[in-house]
Amino acid sequence: MKPSTVLIVDDSRVSRMLTRQHITVRHADWVIEEAANGNDALVIARDLQPDLVLLDVNMPGMNGVDAAAALREMLPNAHISLLTANVQAATRQRAEAIGVGFMEKPITAERIAQLIAPLEA
Amino acid sequence: MIRLSDLEHDALVELFNIGVGQAASAMSEIVSETVTMAVPAISFLNRAAAAKLLASKSTGSGRICGISQRYSGAFDTDAILMFPEEKSQEIVRLMVGQAMPLDELTAMEQEAMSEIGNILLNSCVGALANIIGHELHGSLPDYHVGYSQDILALSGDSETVVLMLHIEFVVERQQIAGDVAFIMDMSALQDLKQHVALYLARAFGGEQP
Amino acid sequence: MSRGAGSLPLLQLVLDCIGVGAIVLDAERRIVLWNRWMSQHSGVLGDETQDRNFFDLFPEQRDKRLDGAISQALRNNLPSLLSQTLNRWPLPLYASKSQAEQGERMHQALTVSPLNMDDGQRFCLIQVSDVSAAVQRENLLREQAMALRSQTLLDDLTGVANRRHFDMAIDREARRARRMGTPLSLMMLDIDFFKAYNDHYGHQQGDACLEAVASALSTMQQRPADLFARYGGEEFAVILPDTPAEAAVAMANAMCRKVHDLRIPHQASHSSERVVTISIGVASTDASHPGEAYDLINAADRALYQAKACGRNRVESA
Repeated sequence: MKPSTVLIVDDSRVSRMLTRQHITVRHADWVIEEAANGNDALVIARDLQPDLVLLDVNMPGMNGVDAAAALREMLPNAHISLLTANVQAATRQRAEAIGVGFMEKPITAERIAQLIAPLEA
Repeated sequence: MIRLSDLEHDALVELFNIGVGQAASAMSEIVSETVTMAVPAISFLNRAAAAKLLASKSTGSGRICGISQRYSGAFDTDAILMFPEEKSQEIVRLMVGQAMPLDELTAMEQEAMSEIGNILLNSCVGALANIIGHELHGSLPDYHVGYSQDILALSGDSETVVLMLHIEFVVERQQIAGDVAFIMDMSALQDLKQHVALYLARAFGGEQP
Repeated sequence: MSRGAGSLPLLQLVLDCIGVGAIVLDAERRIVLWNRWMSQHSGVLGDETQDRNFFDLFPEQRDKRLDGAISQALRNNLPSLLSQTLNRWPLPLYASKSQAEQGERMHQALTVSPLNMDDGQRFCLIQVSDVSAAVQRENLLREQAMALRSQTLLDDLTGVANRRHFDMAIDREARRARRMGTPLSLMMLDIDFFKAYNDHYGHQQGDACLEAVASALSTMQQRPADLFARYGGEEFAVILPDTPAEAAVAMANAMCRKVHDLRIPHQASHSSERVVTISIGVASTDASHPGEAYDLINAADRALYQAKACGRNRVESA
């Protein structure tokens, strides 16, 4: 199976490290890049063309939802998912409208497993 | 003053963001409106400096509504959610949808603020307790009104440390800024730092708790 | 176990005597205690509840605040408060039989607390209080405060005279002017492109803009009988007794200039200058052209409309 490329977007370094770890434990050969905000994510994604993007919703500057929308336009075939502890209907609906996934925080091994499953298929 | 490493600091900020995110979820359920909450920054101060900081941020009368809960177990702390008095009125009005044309919060409105404090503080402390793997015992909320130094003087002494969370609360596109103070003594702060360090070691060291 | 204060039968009597509802759930959320107060006010007897899942009995509470609070207690050992204000009538409880028949639920405040037994088992205690009396007192308080407020003559936001004050004053001055044969002038003014301002900067800043404009203009009236009032949302009115048309127009022009010179930024303004401006309509009556209050208001309104049509940031007179 060809190794996938993942972009992790979160302003919390611990969060990024945790997500990275949960992925590399299962797929040591996957390429993982990180961005600390929405703007950087867009710049990196343009060259990287990731297969999977995981974004925190609550970031300073461009929030995760707006960044996800922009990424959806840029990468029509990528798997994109929002991560947040605030799981209310409005955010969920917005995610659906943009065409991105939605996953509850805190980040756990099981939740990351669910998010990378489409790439393993 | 005990200092946290960058990673420990980051872990705490992320933890509290998860906590207030869950609290926002719960509150939006109550008011059927979009509610978002975030903790953009945390800081460690002594009690006098904390009181000064709060006083410097106030724009209205300077009076603050504080909802406090006492926690003990893995570490001991008095946690206080604080909003300027006029902002507390705004919050209750937004959550309840009914205005009371008085300058002070009525008994029922105080109870509503107490519940908001209860939800938010339990969420923060709960998120912390879950991640560090130890339980805490908590009290029901108490409501206070006064100036910042009086509210913070509710517990501890001049040696106490305050872990201050700055909170941004958005309801119905109204943005309201508040603060949460965790008042602890040095040994409690040490316990907290140790627990966070252990959590990081477990999460990234692959060790068993 | 000794008899007396520590004995189980005595404690059961106490529980069935107290004036609050007490429910205890085990870790699986099954009901293990349901005191007499609960039976009396829910119509569900203790026997019927034994070992039943709480959410089978109250399915509409699933995933709501109470469910979350029970989880907080059982899983995290933390207590919760459910205020009456934010959680109206969570449980189907009634203060009396007649209220039950009418389907009028009791106003309730709940607390949920963890209980830790020595053997490590955890339970949670739900206490229910009837707060109907407190709610009634607050409703009365609100009505009285509202009544008191409506008797005032000042606008809440800006502190200038309110509409009620204006309505009384214009009537009074119009009658007086007719009686005495003196001139009476009225200005109607409003903030140009105010809706766009609100949409662009938000309502809080819109309020601040209203306050700033009112503050700047209300100090310009010279005489005690002159009245500057908030007529509506972004509309103000100025009553000038004993003032002929020319003087009123001169003052209106000064007011227009003053607001313009405040230079309050208005990025969403359709005018080229992008600052907050006002338009003013002036109407007057005098001995030769007497009029009723409503004639004067209509004329000033038409003049205001004219000022808008002619490009705003100006004064027109009837």
